[in-house]
Amino acid sequence: MSGLTRSWICENCVEMLFVRGSGNCVQCETPLRKSNFRVQLFEDPTVDKEVEIRKKVLKIYNKRDFDFPSLREYNDYLERVEDVVSNLTNNIDVENTKLQMEQYQRENRDLIQKNKVKLTREQEEVEELLLLEKQGNEQRRLELLQEEQRQLQAKRKNKQALLDELEHSQLPATMLLAQHKVRAAKLETQIEQQKQAVKPTSLFSTGINMRQTVSLQPPPRIEEVLYQYKPVHVETYGPPVPELELLSRLGYLNHVRAAMPQDTAGGYTSALACHRAIQDAFSGLFPLKR
Amino acid sequence: MFHKSSQGKYWIFGGEDDLEQKRYQANQKSRKKILESGKLAVSESKLLERHEEDVIFRHYEKRMVDFCNAFKPVMPKSVVGTAIMYFRRFYLNNSTMEYHPRIIMLTCAYLSCKVDEFNVSSTQFVGNLLQETPAGQEMVLEQILEYELLLIQQLNFHLVVHTPYRPMEGLLIDLKTRFPTLENPESLRKNADDFLTQAAMTDAGLLFPPSQIALTAILNSASRAGLSMESYLTECLQLKEDKETLSKMYESMRRMKTLLKKYELPKPEDVNACKKKLERIHAEFSSTSKNGLTKTCYEHLPQNGLGFKDIILVYQQFIPVVNCPDWRTVSLEKIHGESKTVCISVHVIFTFYKHIQYFGLPLFC
Repeated sequence: MSGLTRSWICENCVEMLFVRGSGNCVQCETPLRKSNFRVQLFEDPTVDKEVEIRKKVLKIYNKRDFDFPSLREYNDYLERVEDVVSNLTNNIDVENTKLQMEQYQRENRDLIQKNKVKLTREQEEVEELLLLEKQGNEQRRLELLQEEQRQLQAKRKNKQALLDELEHSQLPATMLLAQHKVRAAKLETQIEQQKQAVKPTSLFSTGINMRQTVSLQPPPRIEEVLYQYKPVHVETYGPPVPELELLSRLGYLNHVRAAMPQDTAGGYTSALACHRAIQDAFSGLFPLKR
Repeated sequence: MFHKSSQGKYWIFGGEDDLEQKRYQANQKSRKKILESGKLAVSESKLLERHEEDVIFRHYEKRMVDFCNAFKPVMPKSVVGTAIMYFRRFYLNNSTMEYHPRIIMLTCAYLSCKVDEFNVSSTQFVGNLLQETPAGQEMVLEQILEYELLLIQQLNFHLVVHTPYRPMEGLLIDLKTRFPTLENPESLRKNADDFLTQAAMTDAGLLFPPSQIALTAILNSASRAGLSMESYLTECLQLKEDKETLSKMYESMRRMKTLLKKYELPKPEDVNACKKKLERIHAEFSSTSKNGLTKTCYEHLPQNGLGFKDIILVYQQFIPVVNCPDWRTVSLEKIHGESKTVCISVHVIFTFYKHIQYFGLPLFC
């Protein structure tokens, strides 16, 4: 797909076109260079176009959130960037927008440069982490394979040894089999032990590298107003209800049906039903204050 | 709990006048709607007055209570109480002329079984309608299911109802624990129960919190048995100092008792007269509800695709305009060039409309 003219041509045809040396778009005859053709990443061509434009714009407009004194200004800046991108994507006012971009570029040249450097550094760090992770995965996989190989070999050797002994030894077959079984069991336990053997790792359990120097400064203290607990007060418009735990002591439970063993097994106590009945009886008993 | 519930916030009103006002407004709104829909055969006198609606309401309420009491398996009292409350709340804001109480009462009972977790399957529910055949029960079930959402909406989705039965139990427990002067509170139970069932048939549920109704029931039953419970109120409920609250409570109890005394079952002649009027109103004006019939049409008839819906829409639009002579041919030709399918569809629609007298127009296919 061509970025400039938005025409789609398959790879083979692209080759053909540039073999001939001329560089004209098939549909609209605009002169093109080979570099203008890219493999399309997204199904919807408008999306692809926008993604390309966005990449270019963001190379220029690359300020970060800490470059701005307030959140409002950062958001305003982002809005301007979006306007630029949408103008270019929908071919609205292209000339003006391009002029704006150039002006911005001229004004903030060094800031753009600085931010570019920062970005590349961050990207490198992320890539490093990814690489490390991949390496770790690879290593683990290889080790597992090796382990399996070793186990298979050991088992095979064991079987072979048994066969040899059956052939050559003088002892009766049952004894040999018993010996073999003992040996196989020992092998199993050995394998188990190996699996559980703690390998010397290079990471502490918190994820910090052993060789990494960690700053021993205390974290910054944040002082805030101390939280005061205020119990919740609910207006029930009625006399106070005794607490659930006090019900049996106050004698309420003598007048409620006792809980059967099946009920207590499920966590039910007669105090629950009693408490609910009393709550319902007292709720709204006094006239509402209108 | 009641003090935080939607019932306490939205469905407790200040006085009987408020309720009367609301019902009057509902009645007026429904009358205006019927008169405005332009059915020329109506006159003011054929519509129900406020007191006639009351008669109908009380009659169907009694029928609902009888239905619930005869229900198999036995319906718990809270379910019955919830059903009655739904019925009462629904007809606070709507008129019986618009929605026939026969279906609404069954829908209320059905919904209250669901809300109160009294598990009955729908077939079991309509199986309790003993005077209908199984096919008739199916039809009733369909109607119930149609009106269910409407009912929930008119209840403003406030489905939890606090009935006074549990507060009464709580008060009895409290009496037994803290008020030893009263020897046998259990003897009060039967009368209090009767009081509560009677109170459910009045507007008490819409005016007073359920715990107050329960307290009134117990005090009433105690005074009937000649026992004094003044000291319970002052001592145990700690109202000795608070004279104002005490007097207010006595006032509410007095109001409640008057409400109960005022209730009377409507006379059969009144009921019959009002019922006849109601049936006529429903037959003429409100049965072509868009909900009901279009749905049954869609389910039972072959799908003719878009043409079908067009026909029904046209019919709904043209129903009020009785005098326009050839509207059928004109409109139907407009919708569909394929007159054949249209003819067949029209024929099938006619067989489904219940009120053929209204559509005494000849078929043209």
